[in-house]
Amino acid sequence: MNPFTTDLGSRVLRWGSHIAVWVYAALLALPIYYLVVSAFKDNNQIFLNPFALPARQMFVTRPGGYREFEPLGFQNFQEAWEVVFMGQALRNSFVITIGAVILTLVLCVPAAYAIARSRGTIVLWMERYFSLGLLIPGFAALVPAVLLAIELGLFQTRTFLVLIYPAGALPLSVILLTQFMRTIPRELEESALVDGASQFQILTRVYVPLTGPGIAAVVILNALGFWNEFLYALIITGINPEIRTVQVAITGLQRESTTEFGVLAAGVLISLIPVYLLYVFLNRQMESALTEGAVKG
Amino acid sequence: MYRGHMPSTRVRIARRMAQTSTTEHLRAEPSPPRRTTRRRSRLLGFSVPAALWYALFTIGPLLAMFYLSTQEWAGLLATPDWVGWENFREMWADARFWQAVRNTTIQIIVAVPIMIFFAFQVGYYLSLKPRGHRVLRVLFFTPGLISITAKGLIFFAVFAPNGLINAMLTSAGLESLAMSWTANPSTALWTIIAVDLWSGIGWTGVLFSVRLASVPVELYEAADLDGAGHVVKMTSVAYPVSKDFVGVMLMLQFLWTLFNSAAIVLLLTRGGPAGRSTTLSYYVYERAFIAQEVGYSQAIGVVLLFIGVLGLVLIRRFVRQDW
Repeated sequence: MNPFTTDLGSRVLRWGSHIAVWVYAALLALPIYYLVVSAFKDNNQIFLNPFALPARQMFVTRPGGYREFEPLGFQNFQEAWEVVFMGQALRNSFVITIGAVILTLVLCVPAAYAIARSRGTIVLWMERYFSLGLLIPGFAALVPAVLLAIELGLFQTRTFLVLIYPAGALPLSVILLTQFMRTIPRELEESALVDGASQFQILTRVYVPLTGPGIAAVVILNALGFWNEFLYALIITGINPEIRTVQVAITGLQRESTTEFGVLAAGVLISLIPVYLLYVFLNRQMESALTEGAVKG
Repeated sequence: MYRGHMPSTRVRIARRMAQTSTTEHLRAEPSPPRRTTRRRSRLLGFSVPAALWYALFTIGPLLAMFYLSTQEWAGLLATPDWVGWENFREMWADARFWQAVRNTTIQIIVAVPIMIFFAFQVGYYLSLKPRGHRVLRVLFFTPGLISITAKGLIFFAVFAPNGLINAMLTSAGLESLAMSWTANPSTALWTIIAVDLWSGIGWTGVLFSVRLASVPVELYEAADLDGAGHVVKMTSVAYPVSKDFVGVMLMLQFLWTLFNSAAIVLLLTRGGPAGRSTTLSYYVYERAFIAQEVGYSQAIGVVLLFIGVLGLVLIRRFVRQDW
């Protein structure tokens, strides 16, 4: 073996891989940068100088149709807010997300406790039954679910989203929490039983406080999923501004030919702000909820 | 059920893989005294509400699909008629269905292997913690956080006639290459695949890196003693050790690509032009909600489900083969 060639070869490879990874990183960042700067520009600026930082002033359409220059500011955000009734949409998304997360917890915490603390064939089947759900893509059951909504008289209501989101989230939530609960020593349960505690009390006083990180992971994972969900929300709440979610609302800014790209970008950014805030404050928990959850298997 | 998003869908299957080990652990335990058994079976009642909820809103609708596929509906609110295999016969003769099969096949064959191939290398790269790996991690993590809607609308602007790509081409003096990417028959499908790859490589790479971080250092050190470079360490240490996980990711990406393209197609191309970017998943959506042919759409849905199961079985066999 000629040490020189392997050395040169590995050096080329090393620099090649550094460059490749950073080029991909740049490609990933570029559309996001484009999104952020475009939110502060008018179409003219976006088309002519897509990469430039926003100019000092932009063209704004006034109610009544006449257009004038205005100093740089949040005009696009204001317009997006007004055109698709963003305030109401955000409220709807918050209510649906919080409602569905609470319902998920109410259902999955006792289920995980039961599965973690029981033995025998029934529980084995129960666990298999839930893990089957991990392989069912939500999209597969979209149409029958819509018919179910119609059947229940809940078509075009936010309530149905609150009811159906947890169903899709349950398999993962139950299995994730079961694994957390299995790590709690049985002695704690036994001694609580000796003290005369009921199963429900053991669950709420012993297990829930001790599985905080697991419950946090389930909450974060599901809150993100529910907030970002699109197709169910589109079909169930439709385009009615009173009940539609923020994900559906921002698509209302997309037009076939006359899209105001700055306003569109501003709308998308508004929908991302809650997720971004969650990420800033819960950075670590969020990363572990999303990645370690996938990897521990 | 609601899950259209990458992190959750991926995580779900990965969890499933955890199942094998946990159930074995259950079996291995000695049987408890009888008194406890009775108490424990009562305890199992705690899991009934969740089990029923999931049966009503997930398993039920899924099974209903098979029934719906034998019906003819004039629309969501109309009364259906039993037509037996008619929808499937119609599908067999439907050129648009076969076009969708072809598009989905291209999408899966191109997007999934490329994504896994590069994501694994990105994961290996990140697991070595090179300079700047924290920045890269945050950046690669981002597509996992933002909604499909945001991705769709960002790329709607990127591919627009006056959008980012054409502006870049123009400033590079390549105006002749500028075009309406989502409306051009030969590029429409590729815009969908590009979005898959844009968000998928980095995100899957982060997941791989978390897994590869648990590879024992001794294994790498042994390879170092043999004078192995990174390519050798990646292919003969990192890959064999995490092969099961590569299999899981392959399954997840396959399922994701097969089922969840409807939303992104809807936002970017609406299946056009002339069906050139209509994937099977979008075709189900289009038949049900735009053409109002509920029964027919569910017949396609049943086929989609079978393709999904078949693919999972094949991937499992393929990844297990040389264990």
